[in-house]
Amino acid sequence: MHTFQTWLVHTIIAHSPVATLMRTHWAWPIAESFHFLGLCLLIGCVGTFDLRLLGVARRVPIAAVHRFIPFGLLGFAINICSGLMFLLTEPDQYIYNPSFHFKLLFMTIGGLNAATFYLTSYRRVFSADAPLDAPVHAKVIAAISLCAWMGVIVGGRLLTFYRPGECIGAQTALLLTCAP
Amino acid sequence: MTLDPFLAWLESTSLSQWIVGSDSILAFPGILTFHAIGMGFAVGINAALDLRILGVAPGVPLSEMRRFVPVLWFGFWLNAVSGVLLLIGYPTKALTNPVFYLKLGLIAAGMILFVRISRSIFGGRSDATFQEAASSPRLRRLAIISLVCWTSAITAGRLLAYTYTRLTQLH
Repeated sequence: MHTFQTWLVHTIIAHSPVATLMRTHWAWPIAESFHFLGLCLLIGCVGTFDLRLLGVARRVPIAAVHRFIPFGLLGFAINICSGLMFLLTEPDQYIYNPSFHFKLLFMTIGGLNAATFYLTSYRRVFSADAPLDAPVHAKVIAAISLCAWMGVIVGGRLLTFYRPGECIGAQTALLLTCAP
Repeated sequence: MTLDPFLAWLESTSLSQWIVGSDSILAFPGILTFHAIGMGFAVGINAALDLRILGVAPGVPLSEMRRFVPVLWFGFWLNAVSGVLLLIGYPTKALTNPVFYLKLGLIAAGMILFVRISRSIFGGRSDATFQEAASSPRLRRLAIISLVCWTSAITAGRLLAYTYTRLTQLH
């Protein structure tokens, strides 16, 4: 993994298409604002659906609340785009950052968890004769979803406090958390 | 009139010095993290409510959106508390920056709009009226202004890190 990380950092630095733009005066803060807006859309819309699965607004059909999900996905897409702008500008600040590793881990959990929902619960929850109360496994998925996206926020917000320094001595951990 | 003596006193308190100076992850980094999570729920649920008014998820009765409102208030109070703590940590940085007052004004406007929207749609009238209210131009206008307020508040908040002129009384 160490070789992959350093290769990735060097490749991005050599080819980054957005670094020049992102180093202009206001590009970085504007991209950050978009990143925060996307966060709110994601948490607001996906969170609303998760809360419904968990039993909030129990009288409303689950399928009706699911109509918020495309806007949660829009928020996610905004954040992937703005996030890539940061990553492609300062790759070493992310790829060697343990907080970023956790952020990616929670994003993976959130993504796999959502995929699990659509593979296992979708039909049962959305069929015309589905009960208003979601089955237990859908509730577990909803709880994991809320925790995972909050974990993503924690990992993202703590990035600046775990900025990687220069490596000193041999590195034995699975992932590099310092710049070689 | 100058705030400087007050700011100097605030920065000298042990709470302020713990927030800024402690190595604990629960100090400045933790408070900042709670502020981001609170924002996600406060603004996010507000946005979902505004989107619902503008026609998204039409199968959800507008009146039923009230069930999600406690989560919005949870986010709001989480941010009020974490925001005050961040302010106690860096009072000079915030209070000498006009953008900070802009951010507070936009949040106030956003919450006033939320309360007015709530009164219109959760005001205890019949469900038929709620459905009518969903398409009322006045309510749609309030929802759009609300989305603009929250977008601007977040942008102003983000710009605080780039627009301050003084960090503390010493620097």
